[in-house]
Amino acid sequence: MSRRPCGTFDVSYEKDICVFRTPFHWIMLVVLLVLYLIVFPLLAEDGALSIMNMLYITIIATLGLNFLLGYCGQISLGHAIFVAVGGYITGIFMTHFGFSWWATLPLSLIGTAIVGLFFGLPSLRLKGFYIAMSTLASYFILVWIIMHGGAVTGGINGLPIDVPMIGSYEICSQRQFYYLIAAFLALAVFVAKSIARGRLGRIFIAIRDDDLAAEVMGINVFGYKLIAFAISSAYAGIAGSLFATYWGFISFEQFPFTDNIWYLGYVIVGGMGSIVGTIFGVFFLKLLGYFVMIVGPMIGSALPSIAGSVVSSMLLIFNGAVIVAFLIFEPRGLHHRWETIRSSMQIWPFTY
Amino acid sequence: MTLFLQFLFSGIMLGGIYGLIAVGIVLIVKGTKVFNFAHGDLAALGAYLFWGLLVQAQLNIGLSVVVMLIFAAILAVFLERFILRPMIGQPLLSTIMVTIGVGQIFAGIITLLWPGPGRTFPHIMPSGTFHVGPIALSLEALISFAICIVALICFYFLFQHTNIGLAMRGTAEDHQLAQSGGIQVTRIFAVCWFIGIMLASMGGILIGNLHQVDRPAVAHFVLKSFAVVIFGGLESIVGALIAGIFVGMLEILGAGYLDPLVGGGLGEIIPFVVLLTILLIKPYGLFGYKRIERV
Repeated sequence: MSRRPCGTFDVSYEKDICVFRTPFHWIMLVVLLVLYLIVFPLLAEDGALSIMNMLYITIIATLGLNFLLGYCGQISLGHAIFVAVGGYITGIFMTHFGFSWWATLPLSLIGTAIVGLFFGLPSLRLKGFYIAMSTLASYFILVWIIMHGGAVTGGINGLPIDVPMIGSYEICSQRQFYYLIAAFLALAVFVAKSIARGRLGRIFIAIRDDDLAAEVMGINVFGYKLIAFAISSAYAGIAGSLFATYWGFISFEQFPFTDNIWYLGYVIVGGMGSIVGTIFGVFFLKLLGYFVMIVGPMIGSALPSIAGSVVSSMLLIFNGAVIVAFLIFEPRGLHHRWETIRSSMQIWPFTY
Repeated sequence: MTLFLQFLFSGIMLGGIYGLIAVGIVLIVKGTKVFNFAHGDLAALGAYLFWGLLVQAQLNIGLSVVVMLIFAAILAVFLERFILRPMIGQPLLSTIMVTIGVGQIFAGIITLLWPGPGRTFPHIMPSGTFHVGPIALSLEALISFAICIVALICFYFLFQHTNIGLAMRGTAEDHQLAQSGGIQVTRIFAVCWFIGIMLASMGGILIGNLHQVDRPAVAHFVLKSFAVVIFGGLESIVGALIAGIFVGMLEILGAGYLDPLVGGGLGEIIPFVVLLTILLIKPYGLFGYKRIERV
């Protein structure tokens, strides 16, 4: 984290804690922002933009899971349903109460956090594996509630959702959505980085590394675990609101059980407890998924006997194989790889 | 009253299969300290494979069972050697995730080999109904229940009264002590996986025979039996059977009486409500060990 070129010293505490430390960091930030906000959206076609939009929404949701799993060490097998809850809160308030999309955002954030808090309650007495069980139960219970919600949740038909408006300006094309989602992603990463670097992040890491030791040191373990659940769900809620308005409707069928495993896969592949790792993980697995969707039909046309199921089955196999391979060969994830590359670049041409 | 008894006995029949699957999970947890999240897909794989052997390869039942046993043994050794052994000493999350990943791979293989809707078994059991007083029970469910009970008794005998069972119990107590005592722990792991896969496949086949061989349905059934495992206590084999029957009864009774009030589908989530309740009020289940931690 703290590697810098020779001869760069901090002379004040402010300098010591800042994220962007050297002129090179600032240049990289500006270059990245220009690519992210100007070059890419202007050059890309609708297809590439739609892929990126989905990727960015997934990154926002995964950042939340990273707090719970990567920083606080609580395994969640039901993250997808919190994304759905966020989307449904937006949908319910827009359809039944006539709220604008912007007005539902804080409601979705708070509402999802409360739901997450409730299903985090078993963590009072439990940890590790048992938390995985309680979140698994929460997934199926919430799906059932949504399915049988009648007119409120639209039952199996789901809810239609309007596009967001800024004044009288509608956000409806892929490019307009890109700017909206990219802005939210930038904000989400900034907030996540701030939380992770601050007091809360340190407390989460202490709980993850040893909850008993953390308790002895005076940390209210249960309270902070609940906060981790709330933060995680709040991120999922925002991602759900964006997801709902981006697709134009919301239905529980958009959140199958496999999605929970995908979310865990993003965090594991990227590297647990790392913001930049989360971004890598989502990019890696999502783009692998899109790659399978392109290659799959080719294999299907070569082997017609399995053509019908080749994409869906290869997605499952690739997802599982990538998770297993990373756990066995690179448990610290892509983030660790990235750190190795970065540090070897900084001391180049020396080997150590 | 007749309705109540009818529901009760249907629930017990269902609970037998829950117990069978839960015992497989419990055995793997006890022996290898790994909670197998791939159990659902293993059960589905077993059921599909058995269906394939019976229908596609046209083997008779005895030969199919032999092939299934060989398959389970190979799979168990492979899983132990190449997937789970690198996970020894890794954090809990890694072992959980690796089984989830393996489950995904199996799910993908099933989707690849047997795409489309579920399959129906040919008549491998006599069908009909069996009357006890006013209660009517399906003969297939009754035979399934009997198979579960017989399998569990055989397993209990193996576990309590044979040398390999003694080695398994020793391994369950403490891996290092067992290793020092001359038990080859990695081989016991493979045996635990073998029996676990066999019990899962049996469960999958019985569910497939009662309803349909359908991966999502079988996998969901096994997810529900996780509730049974927690309820019975993570380490208790007897607890798994008792809890299985209890959860089965609760599911059928709850679904039978409450479904008309709330619009159906309650049977799918009652086990999960039980799971959440147990976790909140008695997290270590009926017979589980209460863990005491020292820093």
